[in-house]
Amino acid sequence: MRGRSVVDDAREVRRAAELINLGARLQVLESETCLSRERLLRLYKELRGKSPPKGMLPFSTDWFVTWMPNIHASLYMAVHRNLEKLSALEPVEAMVKAYRLYLEQCATNGLDPVLSLTRAWRLVRFTDAGMLRLAPCTRCHGSFVVRDHDLTRHFVCGLCRPPARAGRTRAAALAAN
Amino acid sequence: MQTDQLLEEIREANLSYLVLAQHLIRRDKAEALFRLGISEEVADILERLSTAQILKIAGSNMLMCRFRFDDQLVWNLLTSHSRERGVAGAHAAILMAAALPEAA
Repeated sequence: MRGRSVVDDAREVRRAAELINLGARLQVLESETCLSRERLLRLYKELRGKSPPKGMLPFSTDWFVTWMPNIHASLYMAVHRNLEKLSALEPVEAMVKAYRLYLEQCATNGLDPVLSLTRAWRLVRFTDAGMLRLAPCTRCHGSFVVRDHDLTRHFVCGLCRPPARAGRTRAAALAAN
Repeated sequence: MQTDQLLEEIREANLSYLVLAQHLIRRDKAEALFRLGISEEVADILERLSTAQILKIAGSNMLMCRFRFDDQLVWNLLTSHSRERGVAGAHAAILMAAALPEAA
């Protein structure tokens, strides 16, 4: 820690602050910056005015294949992949930029952003680890997030063939009234 | 007279497109590539254009921008008026974001 340059340190702090403002949890910060846990905690409290949520991050890949989350996850991955292919970005940078663009897409389409930054980070990690992957829909040819062991030869996405009662949640019913 | 007016309109469309593109590229290149749907090579050329050059290019009788998708499905999704409009928009966005520009 002693030999680190001040400029690098400032950059790390700025990056951590950006992630915190986007709603990242402490585990994301610990993995994506090289600041100490104490400093991250202090930074978090300063920016948010409260302690970060405790406990483990959601660790299941199943959430990403349920209907609405899958749409959001696939949208995020489409943006992320596009950015990654077109320009040489650092992994964190690509993740944050893709997340901002994803939020924009949600706003223009009038959708609540279901995917939090922490979830998006998990999604990228799961995909890198091969636990999730993208499969082409046989009807619309878009790429959608599926689990690694899912069979995808005749895969049709949740948008081309929505499941019965898809999107009819209690929240949607309340919003309609 | 009619043709003159058309050419003038094309010039204006070209001009605003080129100026916007340059502005986006200079602000954040990675984001601009995504928004414009162009390759990095084209972005580099656009970035270096001077105002005089932009004016010259804009004065062509052809439009400099074109549609980023020719898929019937995307058109339908974008123009649909179904109840699930937000979801249709997300579907279109997934399909559009997946399409990468051809290398220049």
